[in-house]
Amino acid sequence: MERDMTPDESLRLIESMIGQAKKSFSRMSFYFLLWGVLLIGAMIATYIMRDAPPGPVQGAAWGVAGLIGGILSSIHGARQGKREPVNNPMDRVIGWLWGAFVITLLITIACTVPHHRDPGPMITLLTGLPTFMTGQILRFRPLIIGGMLFWFAGIIMHFTDDVLLLTVLYCSAMFFGYIVPGLMLKRQENVLRPA
Amino acid sequence: MSFAPLDPLLHNQLRLAVVSLLVGVDSAEFTFIVESTGATRGNISVQITKLKEAGYISVTKSFRDNYPLTTCKLTAKGLRAFEKYVEAIRGYLDK
Repeated sequence: MERDMTPDESLRLIESMIGQAKKSFSRMSFYFLLWGVLLIGAMIATYIMRDAPPGPVQGAAWGVAGLIGGILSSIHGARQGKREPVNNPMDRVIGWLWGAFVITLLITIACTVPHHRDPGPMITLLTGLPTFMTGQILRFRPLIIGGMLFWFAGIIMHFTDDVLLLTVLYCSAMFFGYIVPGLMLKRQENVLRPA
Repeated sequence: MSFAPLDPLLHNQLRLAVVSLLVGVDSAEFTFIVESTGATRGNISVQITKLKEAGYISVTKSFRDNYPLTTCKLTAKGLRAFEKYVEAIRGYLDK
C-alpha cells in the first residue's frame, strides 16, 4: 500500500474506510435470545396463573424475568464491552436506544399497573420501535420484520381481552421478533467474527 | 491555478486508511486496524508510529487477559489535518 494516490483514489479510500468503521460490531444475539426466552416464559406463567387472585402473584413472573434478564444482560454487557475491538458511535446509539426503551417501559408499567390496567399491549407496541431501529442500524432484515410484528401484535392486543389470544399473540411476536432473528444473528456473528 | 499542498503524512495509502478508519470510531484496537486495512502488522506498526509522532493519533498500551493491547485514537490535531486534507483533495477534483 506504499504509493502515492490520485485525488480520486484518496477520496474513494476515505469513503471506504469510513464506511467500514460505521458498521456496528455489537454481538447482540445474546440479548434477543435471553429476553425472548425469559419473556415467553413469563407470559406462559402468567397465563397458567390467570385464575390467581389479582395482586403481586400475577405479576411475579414478569418481575422474576426482568430481574434475571437485567442481571445476566449487565454481566454479559460488561464482559462484552471489554472485548470489543472498536468503540463505535453506532453501537453507542444502539445502547442508548435500548436504554431509552427500558426507561419508557418502566414509566409505562408505573402508569398502568397501579390503575389495574394491562401494560402488555402498550409494551408490545413499544418493543417494536427499538427492535425495528436496531434492525435498520445493523441492516438486518429479520429484526426489521420482527419490529413490525411487535407493532402488528400490539395493535391487535389493544382490541381484545381474550387471555389466550393475548398470550398467543405476545409469544408469537417474541418468538418471531426476538428468538428467530436472535438465532439468525448469532449464526451471522459466528461467521463474521468468531467469539 | 494554484493547488493546496497535500499533507505528505496523510497522502500515503496506508496512513490515510488508518486515519480514515479512526475518523469513524471513538477508538480502535491495533488488530482491528490490521484486519480492516489488510496490511501486515509490521507495516501498520510503522505507520502508526509515524502518525503518533506527528500528534495525529494517540496510542494507549495496556493488557487484556495478560496479552498486550494497543488502542489507537484520532487526536484533535489529526482530525484537523484530515479535514484539511479532504478539503485539498476536493479542490483538486473540482478544478
